[in-house]
Amino acid sequence: MSVSITCPVCGKRKGYEFRFGGEDKGAKPEESVLADPAAWCDYVHMNECRAGVQKEWWCHKDGCGTWFCIKRDTVKNIEVK
Amino acid sequence: MFGRKKRLWGEKPPFRSDYDAVIIGGGLHGLATAYFLATRHGMNSIAVIEKRYIGYGGAGRNTAIVRANQRTQENLPLYKEALELWPVLTKELDFNLMFYNCGNLNLAHSEAAMKAMRLQVSSARFQGIDIRLVDRKECKELIPALDISDRPRYPVYGGMFHPAGGIVRHDAVVWGLAKGAAKHGVHIHQGTEVRAICTEKGKIVSVDTDKGKINTPRVLNAAGAYSAAISGHMLGIKLPISVLTIQAMVTQPLKPLLDHVVSSGMYHCYANQTLKGEIATGAHMDPWPNYTNQNSAYYIKHQAEALGDFLPCLRGVKFMRCWAGLADMTPDMAPIMDGNDPVEGYYTDCGWGYFGFKSSTVTGKYMAEFMAKGECPEILKPFTLRRFENHRLMGETAALVNYSPDN
Repeated sequence: MSVSITCPVCGKRKGYEFRFGGEDKGAKPEESVLADPAAWCDYVHMNECRAGVQKEWWCHKDGCGTWFCIKRDTVKNIEVK
Repeated sequence: MFGRKKRLWGEKPPFRSDYDAVIIGGGLHGLATAYFLATRHGMNSIAVIEKRYIGYGGAGRNTAIVRANQRTQENLPLYKEALELWPVLTKELDFNLMFYNCGNLNLAHSEAAMKAMRLQVSSARFQGIDIRLVDRKECKELIPALDISDRPRYPVYGGMFHPAGGIVRHDAVVWGLAKGAAKHGVHIHQGTEVRAICTEKGKIVSVDTDKGKINTPRVLNAAGAYSAAISGHMLGIKLPISVLTIQAMVTQPLKPLLDHVVSSGMYHCYANQTLKGEIATGAHMDPWPNYTNQNSAYYIKHQAEALGDFLPCLRGVKFMRCWAGLADMTPDMAPIMDGNDPVEGYYTDCGWGYFGFKSSTVTGKYMAEFMAKGECPEILKPFTLRRFENHRLMGETAALVNYSPDN
């Protein structure tokens, strides 16, 4: 299903111009933390798969190339404030 | 279910407060596991909990294609056995699953694609699967409607033909398994939502539903697209899954013109002609996770363009219906089947992405064995959740998946 995404530089554009970059998992943990395979796996692979509003990364790949975060409702597939 | 007709799987069963096993998800994986638990392992106090109705999700939304042409030595035997199970189950369930082994033709549009297929064919043949490489001319012989000239955007270079594959009527499998399971005492509770999974000292003790609490020592999470959310939110076990919508559509009915399932990775398009004559065709996934079941004009247009390019006789044919389902994708495009880790009595069967239909019955067979004996069958061992932290991802995809329109 289609979606519109608001790029901080270019404004509201069609979703197909963007690349989804994954759920926002916060700042990258310290290397000492990531040395533990379970912590590394959690940061790299694991998702919450929230059915509802989630904060996520996007890249305006066919536009300005900016990486940014938005909040989107995954049940309705629309961007929310 | 429809008016006065009697349901195939008996009257609405009583809701008990104790079951030997609770299966979350009334899809094919859940129903197959329940069926095999009841028939092969003598367990008949089993509840299948389904939030909507059986076959609502991926079970009734896939494009009914079955095949065993995967890439890895871990996956291939599972799919091979799955193919061999259709005729057996048709007989055993006394239900026509309409298995039609018309064969699958995968098109290659470059020498590089042929090279990848060479590896795939060799791996599959090593496992005793009937599959071979074909050249451009043979592609045309198999599917006369195919345009093998230089005109299409991606001219056909050759392909991979897998005669053992084909199509199975997916709804029939749902109904057949539900009927068979119910006959052996499995309680199928439709319209029942799981609210919580309760543990005590690292063991499963009960499941809370909107109809009441069920005490049970075993729970199987076979909730398809919702399995990651259930596992994460109810037990705190996060899964490496992204839930993506996958779209499909059928054209108006036509005279027979496609004798085989045809697919092209380059065009991102696969098609088969149903027994009613419609061309059922599917596309790749929406490139962002969401839980909607809606189609987009973008994909319908893509599908029409792709089909019309390599099967030019389909130009101008109208799409009649479209629908979408949810695929729970893992990073290595292989499923997660695990149990008793880290919670005793908690079993997982998910991450099946867009290949959960073809594998449903065989998975049910082995998951049932796993749940009945408490020990993981050898064939399922590589599919453990721990493979992600142990860097033992499977090579089902040639490159790391990055959920973009490229896959």
